Amino acid sequence: MKEVTQMIVVLTLICTVCGVALSGLLEVTAERIENQVLINVQGPGVKIVLEGSENDLIADRKKIKINGEEVLLFVGKKDGKPWAIAYETLGNGFGGSLTVMVGYDTDQKTLTGIQVVSHKETPGIGSRVTEDQFSQGFRGLSIKIEDPSPKGIRGEVDAVAGATYSSGGVYEAIAKSLQIYPEVIKQSLAP
Amino acid sequence: MEYIVLVITAVLVKNILLAQYLGNCPFLGTSKRMDTAIGMGVSVIFVMTIATAITWVVQYSVLVPLKLEYLQTIAFILVIAALVQFVELFLKKFAPPLYSALGIFLPLITTNCAIMGVALLVILKGQTFPEAVLFAVASGVGFTLALILLAGIRERLEVSAVPMALRGAASGLIMAGLMSLAFFGFVGVDGSLKALIQ
Amino acid sequence: MKLLKVFTRGLWNEIPPFRLVLGLCPTLAVTRSAEDGLGMGLAVIFVLACSNMLVSSLRNLIPRQVRIACFVVIIASFVVVVELLSQAFFYPIYQSLGIFIPLIVVNCIILGRAEAFASRNGIIASGLDGLGMGLGFTLSLTVLGSIREILGQGTFFGAEVMWSSFRPFSFMVEAPGAFVTLGILLAIMNAISKSHQS
Repeated sequence: MKEVTQMIVVLTLICTVCGVALSGLLEVTAERIENQVLINVQGPGVKIVLEGSENDLIADRKKIKINGEEVLLFVGKKDGKPWAIAYETLGNGFGGSLTVMVGYDTDQKTLTGIQVVSHKETPGIGSRVTEDQFSQGFRGLSIKIEDPSPKGIRGEVDAVAGATYSSGGVYEAIAKSLQIYPEVIKQSLAP
Repeated sequence: MEYIVLVITAVLVKNILLAQYLGNCPFLGTSKRMDTAIGMGVSVIFVMTIATAITWVVQYSVLVPLKLEYLQTIAFILVIAALVQFVELFLKKFAPPLYSALGIFLPLITTNCAIMGVALLVILKGQTFPEAVLFAVASGVGFTLALILLAGIRERLEVSAVPMALRGAASGLIMAGLMSLAFFGFVGVDGSLKALIQ
Repeated sequence: MKLLKVFTRGLWNEIPPFRLVLGLCPTLAVTRSAEDGLGMGLAVIFVLACSNMLVSSLRNLIPRQVRIACFVVIIASFVVVVELLSQAFFYPIYQSLGIFIPLIVVNCIILGRAEAFASRNGIIASGLDGLGMGLGFTLSLTVLGSIREILGQGTFFGAEVMWSSFRPFSFMVEAPGAFVTLGILLAIMNAISKSHQS
């Protein structure tokens, strides 16, 4: 009996100590990890769609709430004045959800560009939606597009041949992005 | 149809041993003879399927709601270790013939990275529960296939005049490399199948 | 003198994964480039040395029946420490090592050293044993990674090293290259120690 108690006590003790120590470490590193993820995952996409900005895009990010959901907003500034914003939305591709970063020029009311930040599409087929040839097509598209639905956007920019589903996911994400744009602008102007 | 692609991909195209580098310790350790290879393969299919099902549930009904995803590694390894112990006891009690066939392989499975690897992969890929279980079965079958093929080659090598330095693990690894090269022939099959569906 | 021997044993006489054919999965998977091999090696040194020391200091407290479970929890905790630290400070390496960081937990070398050495020896000796074995492992991984990177991509730690008309063998960075390179290195090690003996 004594042995069994000792076994249980030792195991519980080790687990508890490890758990507490790890949660402490998480607390300390959480902020740094969040920053690193932003720099390495979203960072490259944000840099491309907000090209020409002079501020530190990652440091100047904002968190806003749209329809109860948190949206991470990146603001690009030129000569100290905000000129463009970017945020991510999700679409359903062939292999699962794909995340698209859409950038907007707030003065010209056009898209500065899009970047697929993360995806699970088939390499060589669906993954072609990440290539410049496709994403370049969205540059300069007007915010006041007649029909801001996936179908309407498909009419503006051709899908990647052979990757209809994957392209559809991108259209879906952009449509969602366009739909929340007025609300985002309203909130981003507020201090 | 999508499930068929999933199975073909896991067994042939992205074979867990030959393309994903998981489970190599038992791969070399138990491929010297055909009967041990079959025993190990069956044990792996069995444990891998149950382990993946349980860790999937642990991840989505315990770790995610409690925001404890960072403890994933600890939770999974404990689940796998406990499961292996449990399977061992269960077989010993209720299926002695099966126990005497698989018993010696079970303790080795706890530290088989293929089990833990598949459990982590299904989470990483964001698969649904049925997909995850099917993926686990298919990965186990892929593991067994590679193991049996290599055992066949190595049994032959035993009776041939191999240079001293190449005996044992060295020739096993080179054979595995050549097999892996042969499996490269399947690369792209998954892509074209998916394109067919699209 | 004895401690020095404990330390240097891991560097040649029992260098993993060549002499102790254990821990093959990371050896094959993350040696696509010298940098990845080195990163994985450093992570293993940290986990191995820390877990060895902690296991050794608790060796009289832990009851025999649950020792493996205790070792696994201790090792898994240090693996989570590595996961968190590498995410916070070396994110690109964390990305390229992927699931092989959590899989350090099933690296047989670590559990093997805890069981075979640390649970029977003092803290300092155990720490040195872990450090030595870890360094040996790092050395092997870096060498393997260098060979594969130089031949497979024509670079070394990312810098061009081959002549301009060199065509990289993409075979080397893929799975078959990993198996074959390790097999040949193992054969060379065998040949060297054979000629030492005679």
